[in-house]
Amino acid sequence: MRTAALTVIDLAPVVAHVLGNGLRVRVLPDRLVPAVSCYTFFGVGSRNERPGITGISHLFEHMMFNGSERFGPKEFDRVLEAHGGASNAYTSNDVTAYHEDFPTEALEVVLELESDRMRALRITPEGLEQERGVVMEERRLRTENSHFGLLEEELESLVFRAHPYRWPVIGWMDDIARIGRDDCLAFFRTYYAPGNASIYVCGDVDPDDLLRRIEAAYGTIPAGPPVPPHVGGEPPQRGERRAVVRHPANAPAMLAGFRGPAARDPDTAVLDVLQACLSMGEGSRLRRRLVQETELAVSVGVGWNWRADPGVFMFSMELAPGASPRKAEAALWTEIDRVASRGVTEREMARARALLRSGVLHEMSTRNGIAHALGQAEALLGDWREAGQGLVRYRAVTREDVRRAARRWLDPTHRNVVWLEPGAAP
Amino acid sequence: MTGVVLPELHDTVLENGLRVVVARRPGVPLAAARLAVRAGSSLDPGGAEGLAHLVAISARRGAGRRTGRSIDDLVESLGANLAGGADEDASVHGLSAPVEVLPRLLEVLAAVVARPTFPVAEFERLRRSERAELAHDADEPSTVADRAFLQAVYGAHPYGHPVEGRGADLSRIRRRDAVAFHARWFGPRAALLAVSGSVDPGRTLDEARRLLGGWRSPPSPPPDPGPAVRSPRRVVVVDKPDATQVQIRIGGVAIPRRSPDYFPAIVGNGVLGGGFTSRLVESIRVNRGLTYGVRSRFGVGRVTGLFAISSFTKNESAGELVEVALEEMTRFAASGPTAEEVSRAAGYLAGLFPLSLETHDQWADRITDAWIYGYDVTDVRDYQDRIRAVTPAEAREVMARHLPVDDGVVLAVGPAAPLEKQFSRFGPVEVWPIRRVM
Repeated sequence: MRTAALTVIDLAPVVAHVLGNGLRVRVLPDRLVPAVSCYTFFGVGSRNERPGITGISHLFEHMMFNGSERFGPKEFDRVLEAHGGASNAYTSNDVTAYHEDFPTEALEVVLELESDRMRALRITPEGLEQERGVVMEERRLRTENSHFGLLEEELESLVFRAHPYRWPVIGWMDDIARIGRDDCLAFFRTYYAPGNASIYVCGDVDPDDLLRRIEAAYGTIPAGPPVPPHVGGEPPQRGERRAVVRHPANAPAMLAGFRGPAARDPDTAVLDVLQACLSMGEGSRLRRRLVQETELAVSVGVGWNWRADPGVFMFSMELAPGASPRKAEAALWTEIDRVASRGVTEREMARARALLRSGVLHEMSTRNGIAHALGQAEALLGDWREAGQGLVRYRAVTREDVRRAARRWLDPTHRNVVWLEPGAAP
Repeated sequence: MTGVVLPELHDTVLENGLRVVVARRPGVPLAAARLAVRAGSSLDPGGAEGLAHLVAISARRGAGRRTGRSIDDLVESLGANLAGGADEDASVHGLSAPVEVLPRLLEVLAAVVARPTFPVAEFERLRRSERAELAHDADEPSTVADRAFLQAVYGAHPYGHPVEGRGADLSRIRRRDAVAFHARWFGPRAALLAVSGSVDPGRTLDEARRLLGGWRSPPSPPPDPGPAVRSPRRVVVVDKPDATQVQIRIGGVAIPRRSPDYFPAIVGNGVLGGGFTSRLVESIRVNRGLTYGVRSRFGVGRVTGLFAISSFTKNESAGELVEVALEEMTRFAASGPTAEEVSRAAGYLAGLFPLSLETHDQWADRITDAWIYGYDVTDVRDYQDRIRAVTPAEAREVMARHLPVDDGVVLAVGPAAPLEKQFSRFGPVEVWPIRRVM
């Protein structure tokens, strides 16, 4: 039955090139449909920030749509949409990524738009004030009026004492209010130079032709200064840490986390498998125990997002109204303790691998997904060739690996727990 | 510029009336299947609203000779995902699986839709869990706003209650109601099986015949609800005293998917509130910095649909945001879009369309939608041309007829005390407690 190829995508046709100014370009032609997906990754995220200007990476992402030398404010999306394309962007702890999906004919205009803002972004006081207001609304939406937004902010601050992961990607409200135009100018000079950027293209293109166009559009942008080394580091955790968020709510909710390995650590793939065993699908351990059998929770989830530096292995639970938080938490840790002491079954391993394989296949079923996977792999694992290779790693994971990883990374003395306690906000 | 590559489509109606559409197409070694029945929440009996939804989510908790657990174990051990849900017009069970295990799982899909057993313990548990989830949903302002908006726009029309039901209804529904709903409406004459992927069409059809050829239809097919009527302007404030941001919805009854106005409406809407460069984004986000997101859309169903502007802003600027949105709507209805705006919106809608048909799941969904909403799936070939053919005059005329400039609903979820004052200028204000929606 299990004859399907391990690698889900053939990366042999990828053409990789580095321009004189350091800009990396990776192209995967796929000419089935006359459409192209393009990602530009900048190696900057909230981990490159410092107290006082938290959230600048994300606020800056907004500024990238507000005009550059050849295109006025509001022009970026207007021109792109007129050519049948769409754009978006996101900022994470580690990277800032911009992407466009567009019909083949729009290729040249996309390169003009993207290269112009890398070469000569305009940062005006009016543009900054406008985006500041927008970002404050985004923060009210995603954090201040969202239970899990509030809990996540609290949890990250609990897990990390020193590392920049301790502040939210969107930044603290006071910092969003404080960031000035000079901060933005310095940020652009430092982090948006071609040497800190990579372009990933998947779709209906001829790689040689595309490289010529990219050389013409980007080749004369100056290399820029070297990016300052990122300061990380985190002291060891010496015992469980707990916090409470008091907020009006109909029922309690919990977020808990353990500091895990960095994305490049081999245990990352092991934790993917553990996550699948614990919470992926109706038949997963935690869903069965907490939602189906005891009905203590209406939802339970495990989040394991790869990060450049050691990230967080996270548990979330929404309780049934009236359920005891103490009982629910005890039931959760009992299950984790069981995995750490006895491991999981071979059937659970096979199930996890099958579900993870389908997940990778889904990711690789769109041009957008492939282009993003190349960028993500290079940003977090150091090599675009790692895209889609999770399958190989998952196959190598053994039951003993899972047990060992659960013991190592989910040690109760390294637990961080935040409860949402329903009540009037203090 | 053409972008849509039509897959090889095999469209058959079995002897018992079941329509089977197989789309053979290359791509990743996954396959997608949908088994849809034209019985959705618009058939919920009064006092048991949420029943179609409960039937849909509980069907996989026991079917044929399998228990819910054994279905979970089989489906997930093969790396697949099986999920059911209802909307106003239909109940759809979807399967996404590695292509090599599709035949084994089609059997489960068929059993879940045609022969669910609704084991009482599982049904009761899901009913409790749905009620418990409502408590968390009630804490999500945007969810509250969407539910309240349906209720306010459609009123007593069968589209006018939340698909997931309200707490009071969920506490009344019993297993026998689910059994009766399924027996009364589920049958092959009101159903479609859509399969998409690198599959053998002949073998897939044989499989469908073997699994579902013996399925029998109930005496009468599910009826369509009647049309919905527009009503005078209402302002509804759903009270959420602790919120620091107000969720806003503005809109009214509009058009079904098969309306001849559909294409002019979506192009017109593209100018008014679709995409990142719409008039609403420009005036509310870009020029005033009032929000992070604002959009408008036509939500189209089988017999009717709604037009909705959605946004959010800090409490103090809620009135201003609504005022600007109403002004933009009025201006659009009066003078319409420019040729440049129409061409840009058409370029955007047409250009992106091929990317909505990239995956097996997207094709299975598209085939299902076409069947539910009453258009031919091969129409997707002309979609881009029809978008580009819309003229500014058509867009203006159609939008002028459907935009609720003087009627419809202005709805806000936030602290009622200050909002009632801010909103009285838009019409008579009703204040609803959240429990009326949940």
